[in-house]
Amino acid sequence: MNISKFFLSLIITIAMLLLMDPRSFYGLAFHEWAGLVIGIFFILHKILNWGWIKKVTVGFFKKCPGRARFNYILDVLLLAGITLMILSGIAIARTIDFSWLNLGGSRMFWRVMHTSSSLITLALFGIHLGLHWNWVLMMLHIKKSKNGKEN
Amino acid sequence: MVKKISFLVLSVAILVIGVIAFSKLGYWDRSIRIFKYSSNTPFEGRQGRGQEGREGREGFARPEMRELPDSIRARFENREGRPGQGMRERNVPDSIRQQFGPRDGERTGRGPIEGGMRNGDGRGRGEFPGGKKINIRNVKWFLAVFAAFTVIVIYIDKAVCLIRRRKGIQIRNPERA
Repeated sequence: MNISKFFLSLIITIAMLLLMDPRSFYGLAFHEWAGLVIGIFFILHKILNWGWIKKVTVGFFKKCPGRARFNYILDVLLLAGITLMILSGIAIARTIDFSWLNLGGSRMFWRVMHTSSSLITLALFGIHLGLHWNWVLMMLHIKKSKNGKEN
Repeated sequence: MVKKISFLVLSVAILVIGVIAFSKLGYWDRSIRIFKYSSNTPFEGRQGRGQEGREGREGFARPEMRELPDSIRARFENREGRPGQGMRERNVPDSIRQQFGPRDGERTGRGPIEGGMRNGDGRGRGEFPGGKKINIRNVKWFLAVFAAFTVIVIYIDKAVCLIRRRKGIQIRNPERA
């Protein structure tokens, strides 16, 4: 389970970085399709960590460590960032026709939203990785776990 | 000890490159642009940002556009639809269509996929001169910023853990403190 989580996270990170410049990797068509796929991967990432999400949601205002609470808030912000990123991406898509969705708003607004949300989300990704660095080291067999589990 | 020093040097290097990338990409300005956004204010276009992104097109920062008569400019500024519904479908004089049309793939009727970059004759969208489809030069700068954020958080996390541990020792052994 942990290995699949690790590889999924690795794929999301690499894809996110490649998506930061729309023309860097096989052009706009790749950018748009990969942007949609990354959303699915993100949901999958959440499903794989559903146990932790459930536990912290239930005990958020009760007996929850500060670190877990901080991670939870960060995850909510990440979710909001990715949602905005995908939504604005859909609104300004050129190679995939999403005009039937009628999202409204000016194209300029969605474009600014797409840039801002993607840059903020990338920063949040970096913070998220920093907070889970020990887990990454454990996965790479660089560090041994203290109690066998992280989070 | 050598390992610790080498990690520290590596971290400092990542931070320095990250800071350079942060300013090069105009990361802060572009991140908070949405909070400053107002539909009434004219968009600044490419000012204050790096070499990536293409929001600038929307603001008609091109000087030739400002020289157009108000009636014609208003037609462009009122556009809301998808690209491709630009000059082709509006009553724009041919002279103006020729002047502005070829600068954007979608507006010239080349279709949304095979449009391509400026002056990119015969090239597919996203391809670079010489037929290259991958150019991760810009991605490197984003990676640098991403890595810098990660390194900062790793060290802050370590510092917080260290402080907590010391506080814990002080509570358990008050004489030692």
